Amino acid sequence: MSRLEISRFQVVKASMGLTARNFFVDPQWIIPSIIAPFVFTMVSLFIFSREAGQTSAVLLAAVLGGGMMGMWGTTVYGSGESIGFDRWNGTLECTLSAPSPLIWIIMGRVLWNTMEGSLNGVFILVIGLLWFRVGIGIANMPMFVLSTMVTFLSLSAFGMLLANLIVLSRRGGFITNGIEIPVYIATGTMFPIVALPLYIQGISYALGPTWGIDAIRRSAIAGYNSGLHVSIYFDLLMTVMATILYMALSGYLFVQVEKIAKRNGTLGDY
Amino acid sequence: MGVSVRQWVLESYRSLLGSMKFGSKGTIIWDSWDMWVLEIAVLPLAQISFFYFLVGYAGYSPSMVEYVVVGNAVQTMTFSSVFAVANITSSDKWQGTLSSLLVTPANRASMIMGRAIYQIIMSLMISITGLLYGYFLFGVNFSSADYPMLALSLVLTSMSMISFGLLISTIGLYMRTALIVANIFLFIGLLVCGVNFPVSALPSWLQILSYAIPLTYGLQAIRGSIAGASAASLILPISQLLLTGIIVFGFALGLTNSFEKLSRKSGKMEVY
Repeated sequence: MSRLEISRFQVVKASMGLTARNFFVDPQWIIPSIIAPFVFTMVSLFIFSREAGQTSAVLLAAVLGGGMMGMWGTTVYGSGESIGFDRWNGTLECTLSAPSPLIWIIMGRVLWNTMEGSLNGVFILVIGLLWFRVGIGIANMPMFVLSTMVTFLSLSAFGMLLANLIVLSRRGGFITNGIEIPVYIATGTMFPIVALPLYIQGISYALGPTWGIDAIRRSAIAGYNSGLHVSIYFDLLMTVMATILYMALSGYLFVQVEKIAKRNGTLGDY
Repeated sequence: MGVSVRQWVLESYRSLLGSMKFGSKGTIIWDSWDMWVLEIAVLPLAQISFFYFLVGYAGYSPSMVEYVVVGNAVQTMTFSSVFAVANITSSDKWQGTLSSLLVTPANRASMIMGRAIYQIIMSLMISITGLLYGYFLFGVNFSSADYPMLALSLVLTSMSMISFGLLISTIGLYMRTALIVANIFLFIGLLVCGVNFPVSALPSWLQILSYAIPLTYGLQAIRGSIAGASAASLILPISQLLLTGIIVFGFALGLTNSFEKLSRKSGKMEVY
């Protein structure tokens, strides 16, 4: 590596740092990405708490699902809108013509966005604790931390995959807005996927976060048996495998997408 | 030079007509074919499905499932009636046309309203699609429905919610953007307007907000119409819907002038 070159890690770090600084300068822009998960969680908690038979385990499962929705919402919007804003502001061409490959720049942004989503997750946990008096006793803390981290990576990898589509498409708004709620449904954030029709369950199994949220619930709630009928280790294995698959696929697609984008020369259209 | 009332009305009408044509040709940024598909076909189905599966899992009765499906079918109209309308002034700001618009002598309210009017059609299409999903996919029973009352309730709800969108849009004249507030009010109805559970289940301090939003009364009238309630029993929610719609519209008109003055004074019209 010549002295003028910078490492991939430095690109990711710089991109992540810049996205974080942008957030702290103007934090109000977190609201559009967290409002839907927040309201959906609150409504779900009201619905569950109105039903007399619902146990605190169900409420805790909903709060954890809400946290997941928050992470997911921010990842989807963050990934989609970071490219969208580049396009809007006329900086997408500059970003693509920089010597650093786009994938590492996007990775930095997506990692920060998922981290930002975790803040929303924590916020929902606090609301659940204070308003709905959900007892947040984590049954297996080390596994809970591990599951959360693995799910975090899985979400980021999914965000990377999504960002590919948005580089090429002028329909970023369509993709991000259209995909948000269906993924809440398919990943079983608020209800187990067994409650879904079989054809949707097929999609659910292909999504890493489905396994991730199951692992999170299994580690947090003692005796949790409403989710997938597998062990927590299998959940984690599937989440990791999905993450690796998403990363490999996005790595390949980013190269192709960059080539197509440069060849077509229509990046700035919106 | 004084302006006669007749002249003022004519000028306002002309501004309204002009901006209606302008609005229908796509000045509202979301107005592209994919957003139409998204708003009319995808979002209602996604939102209804989410809450349908949720109440099914929570073990609610079929009547409650129907309550939730109808509530969400109607609430999705806010994507158009509140969110799109609320962003009219902000989109002008982003595109750098707000200051040019505000130096024209045209009536501001007419200009904004003209661009909002075609969202009545859009929001009706969204809710009707949602109700059709309700009938064909989620088993909502329309056998007793009073269709003329249902149509009236839907139109009035749409118009009242557009007034609400206009109210938020005026914020964009002064604040950096109305987008944030628009996003909040896009979804807050799900929680406070009796979409998924009766308003009475909310804490009393939150119910104050419920009764300030026309959607709360609109939903009562629409559910009543679907259940085939007598016209007499629907008079109250429809009157409340009309009244809140008119009050909100009045506020929107009043605030348009006030916020314009404030933004001129602060010179921050183009800041976003």
